[in-house]
Amino acid sequence: MKCTFTPSICSYCGTGCGVLFETIDGRLNSTIPMKSHPVSQGKLCIKGWNLHEHINSPMRLQKPMVKTFGRFINTSWDEAIQITADRFREIIDQYGPDSLGVLVSAKMSNEENYLAQKLARAVFGTNNVDHCARL
Amino acid sequence: MKKKVKKWLEDGTVDLFLGYKIDCGHPLPHCFTREELDDVDHLVVGETRYSLEKIATHLAKKDPNLKIGLLARDCNQRAINVLTIWHQLDKEKIFPLNVNCCPSPIKPQADCSYMSGETAASYKLQVGIDNAMDIESADAFSDREKNIRWMYEFQKCIKCYGCRNICPVCFCAECTLEHKDLIGPGRLPPQVPIFHLVRASHMVGRCIDCGLCEDACPMDIPLRLLYRKVNTITMDIFDYNTGESCEQSPLSLLGDKVTLSLKPM
Repeated sequence: MKCTFTPSICSYCGTGCGVLFETIDGRLNSTIPMKSHPVSQGKLCIKGWNLHEHINSPMRLQKPMVKTFGRFINTSWDEAIQITADRFREIIDQYGPDSLGVLVSAKMSNEENYLAQKLARAVFGTNNVDHCARL
Repeated sequence: MKKKVKKWLEDGTVDLFLGYKIDCGHPLPHCFTREELDDVDHLVVGETRYSLEKIATHLAKKDPNLKIGLLARDCNQRAINVLTIWHQLDKEKIFPLNVNCCPSPIKPQADCSYMSGETAASYKLQVGIDNAMDIESADAFSDREKNIRWMYEFQKCIKCYGCRNICPVCFCAECTLEHKDLIGPGRLPPQVPIFHLVRASHMVGRCIDCGLCEDACPMDIPLRLLYRKVNTITMDIFDYNTGESCEQSPLSLLGDKVTLSLKPM
């Protein structure tokens, strides 16, 4: 029997509460608030308390899916990215780059947010970059 | 202490030992094993408390034959007693290593002041209930004032279920607080004061006054005081001190030495 505790940060919002994942025999068993965390000080909201719930859910999507003829079909990452890129190209060619927008998140790192805006400005050629906290 | 833990692990007294270890700068619970015996040198008794006995119940649920050792403050020890009474832990398979801890009405002498808590701000003092209040002064308000003050505290609830989730003695597979006919889903604040009073009534004869619920409450509701109050009822009427021993179940009291003549409350 192996039981481990992994400190982490809640992935739901920009607050960044400290959580601790209790894993028994490689299976995520529960979420515990991290007592000494400077942000949350051992408190969590209902979303943070249930972080572990969806990890083991059979409903969880583990492969990319592409909607073809109204149905979702499993595909590889390479193909999924290729299809996305092709559709972006199509939309930009037809309606112009400002028809696209990029929505970033408070829960991403600065570096990821930087990359997302770089993609929007340098690749798509649009200034439509916004943030989930402004919705 | 470390020597004892090592010895326990080596001679097979315990299979696992739940304690604390500094990880990423935080004292976090850690499961020490025989395979990683050198790890025991990093065992600490920090100021932070986690409900190790709750983790032990999770482990015992997976493997009932597992022998678990754990670091036990007084509150942990009381929780272990209650969990043994309710058959969540097996007395023969749990090995608490007692360490000193925080003061509580059940144990007045202690050298840790972790639970002394923050002082309430002036607004809370005026319209709500001070978390540090004792039962007598909370009872001293008039009925009307009591109602207003407690309702002020309850309506702050964001229904995070933190008080239940962190509670070491909350183990039911099905929880009343999630029953849609009793507590309507999707409403915020939850139906007050039913939400809190249902939980309070379930804490009678179970709450071991560890204060973890109040600690985990994002809205600073004086839950510890509320549960302490309901527990005085079992103390006054049944002379049952929750968590004191792991021998007597509160259910076995009925009809034995109790007259069941209710005292006026």
